[in-house]
Amino acid sequence: MKIDHSLPLEYGTDQNQLNILGFWIFLGAEIMLFGTLFASYFTLVDRTGSGPSGAEIFEITPVLIETIVLLTSSFVIGLGVHAMRIGRTKAMITFYAITLLLGLTFLGVEIYEFMHYVHIGAGLQVSAFTAILLTTLGTHGAHVTFGLVWGFFIILQVRKHGITPETANKSFIFSLYWHFLDVVWIFIFSFVYLKGMM
Amino acid sequence: MMELFPRKQVIGFGFSLLLTAIALAVYFFDLSFTAGMTILLVTAFVQAAVQLVVFMHAGETGDKGSIYTNIYYSLAIALVTVFGTLLCMIWGYV
Repeated sequence: MKIDHSLPLEYGTDQNQLNILGFWIFLGAEIMLFGTLFASYFTLVDRTGSGPSGAEIFEITPVLIETIVLLTSSFVIGLGVHAMRIGRTKAMITFYAITLLLGLTFLGVEIYEFMHYVHIGAGLQVSAFTAILLTTLGTHGAHVTFGLVWGFFIILQVRKHGITPETANKSFIFSLYWHFLDVVWIFIFSFVYLKGMM
Repeated sequence: MMELFPRKQVIGFGFSLLLTAIALAVYFFDLSFTAGMTILLVTAFVQAAVQLVVFMHAGETGDKGSIYTNIYYSLAIALVTVFGTLLCMIWGYV
């Protein structure tokens, strides 16, 4: 296996470079997926029927907690990739673990939020608005859930094998995924919550 | 310890918190719909760009061109989907 040492380890081999480019193409498909969800959301946002509107059910506190937690986790996994690039295995694992804990916190708040919505009569079947709201939020939440499982196994691999071209590549690709979730959340925060409460 | 916190990423994080704070203005102040949406559009897209460049390391390697082409392409499709839908489902009937 030929390793190009002028590049960061996760890019070092041809296979690694292709893996990263391939993952970017996957993220491109994800951008389009969330594009369709946002298109549906904007179409159905005023179709509240006899159910509540966004302004009536959104609360700023949990939304703000979710936003800060996810932004911080995105920063921390960035530090993890940096630690990986300078060869600090322990620091890298710590940063990745903190990232996952923050992700878990986010998920906890989101689950509380969903239960709250159902409790106040804004469940999935109430109106076109609540259906598309919970579908959009839920798709993002499902991605975070999947990311938690994925990240856990990444940490196990790095603990077992150390930082090698393979594990560095996998860890870097996971970080791309995690940052992407944060980007999607920024758009949900702005165009679902803040626009709804404006 | 300090070498674990690269300047560029710490500044990027501070900047993304600042953008979040600016976006919150639409909640705390009574702005018109146009002013509010302008603020949200600007802060959201700048925020996304910060993530892309500072944290996702897009544009650091030789496949920079392919990565950016791919992002622009998918972003174009997503925007056409969103605005095309708005055009034929909402704005066309006003």
